[in-house]
Amino acid sequence: MSAFTTETPSEIIHSPAELREKKDRRRAISLLTPGLLWMVLFMVLPMGMVIYVSFWTQTTFSVNSTLTTASWERFLSSSTYLGAIWTTLRIWLIVLIATIVVGYPVALFIGLFVRNKTLQTALLVACVIPFWTSFLIRVIAWRPMLGTEGAINVILLKLGIISEPLTFLLFSEFSVLVGMTQIYCVFMVGPITFMLGRIDVSVIEAARDLGASFGTIFRRIILPLSLPGVMVGSIFVSVMVLGEFATAASLSGRKVNLLGNIIVSQVGSLKWAFAAVAGVVLTIIITAVIALALRLVDLRKEM
Amino acid sequence: MESRVLRPVLAIYSSIFLLFLYGPMIVLAILSFQSVDGGPQFPIREWSTYWYQHLLGLTETSRVSQLPVGDSLIRSIVLAFMTTVVSTVLGVMSAEAFRIKFKGSGPAFYLIILGMMVPGVLVGLGMALLSNTIGIGRAWWGTSFVLHVVYTYPFAFLVMLAIFNRFDRTVEEAALSLGVSPAQTFRRVTFPIIFPGVLSAMLFSFTLSYDEFSRTLFTAGRDLTLPLSIYGTFSVEIYPNIFAFGVLTTLFSFTLLVVYGLLMKRFTSKAARFKGQEDG
Amino acid sequence: MLTLSRVSRRYGETIALDGVDFVVPENTYMSLLGASGAGKTTLLRLIAGFEEPDQGEISINGERIDGQPTHLRDIGFVFQNFALFPHLTVAQNVAFGLRYRTNAPLTNETEIKDRTEEALELVGLTGFGHRAVSAISGGQRQRVALARTLICEPRIVLLDEPLGALDANLRSRMCDELKAIRERLGVSFLHVTGSETEALTMGDKVAVLANGRIMQTDAPDTLFSHPGNADAARHLNAWNIFDASLCRTSALDGMIAVRFDQMDVSAAGTGPADRPTLAAKYLTGEFNGPTALSFFRADDGTLFQIVDHLSQPRLPDLVEGQRYDLHFPPQALRQFHGAA
Repeated sequence: MSAFTTETPSEIIHSPAELREKKDRRRAISLLTPGLLWMVLFMVLPMGMVIYVSFWTQTTFSVNSTLTTASWERFLSSSTYLGAIWTTLRIWLIVLIATIVVGYPVALFIGLFVRNKTLQTALLVACVIPFWTSFLIRVIAWRPMLGTEGAINVILLKLGIISEPLTFLLFSEFSVLVGMTQIYCVFMVGPITFMLGRIDVSVIEAARDLGASFGTIFRRIILPLSLPGVMVGSIFVSVMVLGEFATAASLSGRKVNLLGNIIVSQVGSLKWAFAAVAGVVLTIIITAVIALALRLVDLRKEM
Repeated sequence: MESRVLRPVLAIYSSIFLLFLYGPMIVLAILSFQSVDGGPQFPIREWSTYWYQHLLGLTETSRVSQLPVGDSLIRSIVLAFMTTVVSTVLGVMSAEAFRIKFKGSGPAFYLIILGMMVPGVLVGLGMALLSNTIGIGRAWWGTSFVLHVVYTYPFAFLVMLAIFNRFDRTVEEAALSLGVSPAQTFRRVTFPIIFPGVLSAMLFSFTLSYDEFSRTLFTAGRDLTLPLSIYGTFSVEIYPNIFAFGVLTTLFSFTLLVVYGLLMKRFTSKAARFKGQEDG
Repeated sequence: MLTLSRVSRRYGETIALDGVDFVVPENTYMSLLGASGAGKTTLLRLIAGFEEPDQGEISINGERIDGQPTHLRDIGFVFQNFALFPHLTVAQNVAFGLRYRTNAPLTNETEIKDRTEEALELVGLTGFGHRAVSAISGGQRQRVALARTLICEPRIVLLDEPLGALDANLRSRMCDELKAIRERLGVSFLHVTGSETEALTMGDKVAVLANGRIMQTDAPDTLFSHPGNADAARHLNAWNIFDASLCRTSALDGMIAVRFDQMDVSAAGTGPADRPTLAAKYLTGEFNGPTALSFFRADDGTLFQIVDHLSQPRLPDLVEGQRYDLHFPPQALRQFHGAA
């Protein structure tokens, strides 16, 4: 084809530019194919399987591929499982807000008030170091902290603030919330700090010179510029909290049942179709949350 | 004026925050030195390293069974290593592809990113269902491994994407104009320059996979990985041996981090050394 | 000999190059002058093969090179930002092409070393081989980039604003050196620049690129004194270009051009009758050392510049806002046909 066009340049079918473009595109596709194929085979296909199996027929110890909506009907008519949806949403929302409230001032401090690059990096590293401990260990570390004979009760008793150990600290929704907030907070601090760090300090100084109060500067400059960070952080925290089950399993003493816990327990008792229904419900919730977040922020630009 | 008040307030707040982050681990580390007859709580009856010995199988038989960590540790490391290699290769390839403008790059980007967004328990369930249906046995080196890559590959991809964003394309063009083939250019120019990024991507992949648990739960089959062994202890009563274990794994992770730091330093020191010569 | 015929390149709706016909002869220092955004860099990138033309042919000594991959074209490229390999030393940078090129790579380390030292000597960097490229100055980096390219003995060397990143002092020194190096090697240089002084100083020939086409290619003095069209004249930054109807006495029409140093000024109404004359308002003056520049605005808004040499002043004292007669000898004028 190219030899043909070489001889008769007036009759351009594929100009060198088009050929180059084609070659580049072919290169991009061949580089991308293994990765995309991997994702389709090992992520999209399994997810499709979850949806498919949720319509299978569940017998006591097995499933067969006769299609039925029985599992769905059972799920949607059971107050326990509907309760799990509500618990999941409630825990998600509280943890999300808690991570923002707890994390934002820290991000503000590191990103905006610490101007020494070394100290800034040191503080960020300090926030990340706990991640070098296994996730499950970090969860379990809250037990000796919050238990009736745990560190907090011991200290409060010693200080004479309380006379009886507080029992609501561990094996309650409270411990789940505290644990999740601690574990996921850094995912909020990171992106917000990153966004705040990009703010040109001279803009803030100029505003201050013009007589703007910190409140005004915060509302007009800092908050809008850091919002993409909050959004990215929220996406991180949301997908992780919504898919959670280990923290609740370890710290709630079976009092908190998230959708994740339902899936785990159903798989444990070989109720595959039922686990799949819970999985689809969870997928729908997460998809809705991510879709909402992506409307507010273009992930590709922020990363 | 206000920032003069705000700064110390935020500084104190941030210190409290760090205490919040580290508190449980500190308590856990202290309690790992509990004596034989002490429980997983205060007070410390007597300081001892009994539970460390117990963990390593150095104690006489005791009422507490030993944590099954030996084999699972090796499995976890091998799994993390496999995952690291594959996801880094895929990540570099995909990020390289994204340097070329092409139609459909948006959906492709989100398909990859989805891998780190989808909850592990969901893909884990899906993979278990899939392997049941098509009759493939579940194993940590098979079904778990592919899911680990699904999870870590997006991270490696994002790291490499950030590296390529800052990459000066003209050095590659310079190499080409010197008569060096594209493959050699990648090997001699592109790869050495992006190498620190590759190292970071590998570190990311390794730690994520090493600690990954929800994707492994339904897919590992009979042989457990390290996080699964720990999870197994959740349902039963816990003993300080798991605290000792937490301390040791943390130390192991830090060793890994130090190795990474040394590699990075070795890589960047060359430039620094030559910089020094300018003065001399 | 590098030949481009009817070479075009579009980016979406934007036309960067619109049928360029251009020849760079053997053993020539060719300057390519063009404003920023005129497509200079695109032209070089097409020749080097970093991009491909939408239309047209590029050939060297009759052999077509468009469509060939970059690394098989045997064309040197010196980048504005030098594009040195940051992870390699100066010597490794220079030896890079010899060592890793596809065609006849050198494996004999002594030969590589000798050739590298030779190349470093050529650009005046003997003894710098062990340095890191981050540990040398901008001018030295430029030389490394040059040595790295020249060592491969390319058929032609493309230089993309090679002096742009250097300070003024260094620039004039590099100008001389570039010329000397090229003459020693006998290879053609195609030097792209936005500066008319650079283009005129360096080039054995100067080509003007405007509106995606080559407007004129000539020896520097010919180009300077006889621009063939308004676009070429405009790029020389030495010509007043205006509508002939501005002149009171002449019977000319179309666009005409008069060099800055060939216009004279008289008080309003006193312009000599035998010279084309036009009225303009004096705006301001600019003192440049050996020369002074005066700015005038004619009635149709055209800006006029007049150069006065301090050693031979010919302008009267000028008052800002005052109207004057600008006139010039008829033989100083160049008339362009067709649109400007």
